[in-house]
Amino acid sequence: MDPHHGMTVEEASPAQERARRNGHEPRTPQAGGAGLPVQAMDADSFRTASQRILTAINTVIDGKADAARLALTVLLAQGHLLVEDVPGVGKTLLAKTLARTINCSVSRIQFTPDLLPSDVTGVSIYNQSSRAFEFRPGAVFANIVIGDEINRASAKTQSALLECMEEHQVTVDGRSYTLDEPFMVVATQNPIEMEGTYPLPEAQRDRFMARISMGYPDMVAEIEMLETHQSSSPLAGVSPVVTATEVAAMIAAVQHVYVSQAIKEYVVALGRATRNSPLLRLGASPRSLLQLLRAAKATAALDGRNFVLPDDVVSVAGSVLSHRIILDRKAASAGDTPAGVIRSIVAALPVDRESAQRPQAAESTPGHGR
Amino acid sequence: MTLAPERSRNSTAPGESEQPVRPAHPRVGYQPWIMAAGTVLATGGASLSLNGVMRGWAWYLPLLTTVLVVAGVMALLRSLRARPLVVTAGGLAALVAILTLTFFRGTAVAGFVPTGQTLSALEGLLQRAGETVLSESTPVAPNAGIVLLACAAVGVLVVLLDALAVPLGMPATSGIAILAILVVPAMLKPQSVGWLAFLLAAAGYLVILSCSQWYDTGARLAGDTVRNPGQTRRTALIGAAALATTLVLPTAIPGFDTGSFPQGSRLNAWGTGNGLNPMITLGNSLRAPTGSGRITYGTTAGTAPYLRSVTVDSFSGESWGPDDRGAARQAGTSRIQQGTVLPPELKRSVTKISPGNFSSPYLPVPYAPESVEGLNGQWGWDPLTLSIRSSDTNTRGQQYTVVSSMPELTADLLARSTRPPDGVAADFTTVPADVPEIVRSTADSVAGFTSSPFAKALAIQTYLRSGDFTYSLDTPARAGYDGNGLSVLADFLGQKSGYCIHFSSAMAVMARVQGIPSRIAIGYAPGRLTGETMTVAGVEGVSQYEVDSRDAHAWPELYFEGLGWVPFEPTPSRGIVPSYATSSSAAPGSPQSLENDDALDAPAATAPAPTPSSSAVPLPGGGTSPGAGPGAGPWLAALGGVLGILLLGVTPRTIRGAVRASRLRAGRDGPAAGITAAWTELEDLGTDYGVPPQLSETPRNYTGRLRGTGVLGEPGGMDDAGHQAVLALTSDYETTVYGPPEANPEPAVAGTHVSGVDAASKQAAGRIAAVQEALRANATRPAQLRAGWIPPSTLRHMARFAAAPLHGTAVLVRLTAKATVRSWEGARDGLRRLRQG
Repeated sequence: MDPHHGMTVEEASPAQERARRNGHEPRTPQAGGAGLPVQAMDADSFRTASQRILTAINTVIDGKADAARLALTVLLAQGHLLVEDVPGVGKTLLAKTLARTINCSVSRIQFTPDLLPSDVTGVSIYNQSSRAFEFRPGAVFANIVIGDEINRASAKTQSALLECMEEHQVTVDGRSYTLDEPFMVVATQNPIEMEGTYPLPEAQRDRFMARISMGYPDMVAEIEMLETHQSSSPLAGVSPVVTATEVAAMIAAVQHVYVSQAIKEYVVALGRATRNSPLLRLGASPRSLLQLLRAAKATAALDGRNFVLPDDVVSVAGSVLSHRIILDRKAASAGDTPAGVIRSIVAALPVDRESAQRPQAAESTPGHGR
Repeated sequence: MTLAPERSRNSTAPGESEQPVRPAHPRVGYQPWIMAAGTVLATGGASLSLNGVMRGWAWYLPLLTTVLVVAGVMALLRSLRARPLVVTAGGLAALVAILTLTFFRGTAVAGFVPTGQTLSALEGLLQRAGETVLSESTPVAPNAGIVLLACAAVGVLVVLLDALAVPLGMPATSGIAILAILVVPAMLKPQSVGWLAFLLAAAGYLVILSCSQWYDTGARLAGDTVRNPGQTRRTALIGAAALATTLVLPTAIPGFDTGSFPQGSRLNAWGTGNGLNPMITLGNSLRAPTGSGRITYGTTAGTAPYLRSVTVDSFSGESWGPDDRGAARQAGTSRIQQGTVLPPELKRSVTKISPGNFSSPYLPVPYAPESVEGLNGQWGWDPLTLSIRSSDTNTRGQQYTVVSSMPELTADLLARSTRPPDGVAADFTTVPADVPEIVRSTADSVAGFTSSPFAKALAIQTYLRSGDFTYSLDTPARAGYDGNGLSVLADFLGQKSGYCIHFSSAMAVMARVQGIPSRIAIGYAPGRLTGETMTVAGVEGVSQYEVDSRDAHAWPELYFEGLGWVPFEPTPSRGIVPSYATSSSAAPGSPQSLENDDALDAPAATAPAPTPSSSAVPLPGGGTSPGAGPGAGPWLAALGGVLGILLLGVTPRTIRGAVRASRLRAGRDGPAAGITAAWTELEDLGTDYGVPPQLSETPRNYTGRLRGTGVLGEPGGMDDAGHQAVLALTSDYETTVYGPPEANPEPAVAGTHVSGVDAASKQAAGRIAAVQEALRANATRPAQLRAGWIPPSTLRHMARFAAAPLHGTAVLVRLTAKATVRSWEGARDGLRRLRQG
């Protein structure tokens, strides 16, 4: 599918032919669902493929299995990942490793205050020989885009990335160019208190499906890291374990995961609970609930199930919701954290099993969970 | 396309999966019928023992028909795979239909559909039954009302038994329904239940027990684990325990002094006599081996007098009761007068009586009382019979002094009284139209040849005291004519064996037939000396006598013009024949035991111990107290039995068991319902053993916690089956509730697709049983008891149910308060605005 899988991570050199080929065929962003006839992967292959990816990541990053799993979840749920932590805990390494394990095009953008939007999206330049404007794709034209230190760029450049992330397409000079699937942005950022940063606006934070915090490795993992990472780059040993086609098939499988009425009700109840919580100034948006459900579907699939459990929703709720909500001032000054508030809301939210049985009986047509 | 292809492989077309094929139960063909046979055997067999409570056998055919029809209809419905509720409802409908057909055929549509007329007919029959219950002693005459009541009660018990055994899943408890039948004869009949009825009932019960395993959803029988010894051993255990109880229990209870339960005696739960109908209790009082209700008295009369409580003067109807002319009763006991002409010279005596614990509204006094002093409460006397009765208290704890008077009667005096009776109420002369022929012919042949009333009376007394008649407490009961009434009298004259009631009523009725006014007096025969002395009316050193329930007695009183009422003593071996009645005309061979003169100061000979040792059959023994109100007894007992079953029905344990059984059966409505029900059961089991689910817990979280807390024991250990069952239940439940509709789990054990549904419910039952066992095995003894008898899950539901009205009220109050505050605030604002404007 992608002829440029061999490219290096540091470079962004999209091919002109591909841009031309894709540019005239605008597609819906949900390529896996309707546009591209990708066959969903069966359960066994899905399990082995996901296991291969996770194993590969875990060989590089010690003691961060949860982070690796969440990153894969976001990839399969067609979301974007925001990795946030202090410098030097392996944010970029995680992003790079994830990209390396998949045989697909990867580009990396190092965000700086002077980075221009066109550096991200691409630019039309005049070709002397053909006497026509020609689109030169930017760094975003890749399956996996690593946006390093995203909060160091100006708001203008950040929002250039915005459209690409949400719509999976780039518009330059009035023309839209569709991005390849799978498409995922893995952005890293330092906590906003650090020097020289532009905090991500709320709208942009909302576009990231999940935010994870790496955290420091535990003692054993850190010692092992010191030993293994001394001589050579750990990334050198990583070779792709799945192809982009396989990932697309996995994404399609995730989309087929069944969501029962009870789960939908549960997710909506969770959203409403965040909006009604006195501890929060801003609750979860409808989009965030959609992303929460998608992440839950991916979690279920990774768990080997073809239907979502409330447990799946609970397990991703903290990562999906905590970077979108805004704490009330009193709660913030009282020392509450967004993640803690989400946790307490989930702990108090009833799992209504009685109503869960009602729609089950009413529904007879299969084919839910598109 | 799905992630679980192994499930989609089994999934059928959508239409099929919605309506799962009901599997053919492999053995349904004969099961319901064997079950019905067991039910019929148990109830029909137990009902055999009602012979003796009801007279004869005429009642048995309708009863057996009722049992057969009800059990048959239920078996038919069950073999047609009707739902449990439908089976029970069908049984009740069949009961109504067969009762209508048997008793109200004329008023019903098509013979068995009740109409409004049927209801009024039913009311009539019930009223009749009620009268019988109140007035008759056992064995009662099997009139339509009584038989209807018996058939209805047994029919309801058949339905109950079936409901307990099958839909509620508590086959062992169904024995209570059988016991409800057996308890009636056990308490009322001197022979108790009888071995045949007991044997048949027990056999039927065992059949029901063994049948019930087909209907058990397998919770307790399916799992063959270390802790579950299996059905055979269980049955042996139950049998051994029951046998041991039957043998040990009678020896531990003081009331059992002969034999053991089915044949021997029994406790009487109804206490001492209420005295409402002393005639009814008389037979039982006499049969009691130990007397109760001891009355002591001393008298200035030279000899111990008869103590008279009440009289019977109406000889019509099925049975006789004390006459109660409440309106004519005179208040106060200081001046009691006879309305009849008496000789001028009367012999007066004073008697001081302490009834002690004896409790009756009728006052035992010597005849004829002139005044009674020292009574508490409201007492009144009947001018016609001089019986003294209280309207608001009874004899218990009283102590009173009676002045009584009698003419100095001699045979000579009596023989001279030949004038036809005049000035005596018609109550005492009426001869019922339905006096049996044998009574009339006997009276004629015995006394027809003489003309003077006294000669007739003497002839009748002589006839009854002759060797032809034997005194027996048992013959009447055994021959089924115990009690009183004209038909009883006919039986007695045929059998020539009975006790005082029969002798006295025979003499009274025959005298009345012969034109002598008569009535039956009931009270106590002269008592025994206690060896102590007391002071009566200033006379010191008066001998004290005592009587108790064994001295209860009945004797006829005949009216002679100019002399008043004169007592006679036709009962052989009881009481004292008055001097005037011991004329030479008395047959020399009569077994009259005592002469009045001899008895004067010969207490040892007075009133020999009435223990009827002459009887050959084993003594029925008797309870610690004599049977009181046995007429009401059967119905009280039946009512008690039904109430007991109902009460049992609402105990938490029973409710819990029934709920569990119904949940385990839910699988027949489809796998989803079964799995959901099994999950609810799992949650309730957890609640019972102290790990209740929390509202915000997902299924997985809950079972994780359940397994983690150790209530199930160590995973992988002895109770690993419980852990595995919990895991399987969780996974099935998750798939059912949250999974796609087409991928409902197919039971792994399903051999064929047809039996899948049944296998699924069996499997769920097995899992629940495994969880339950693991929980029980790892719980402490108090926790086990709590989970077994007061399961918190059920209590919670019950509390919620009970609190619903309170909750509703609270909500209402809160809403009202809010509305009040709001309107008050509105009014206040309006006022303020007005003032400002």
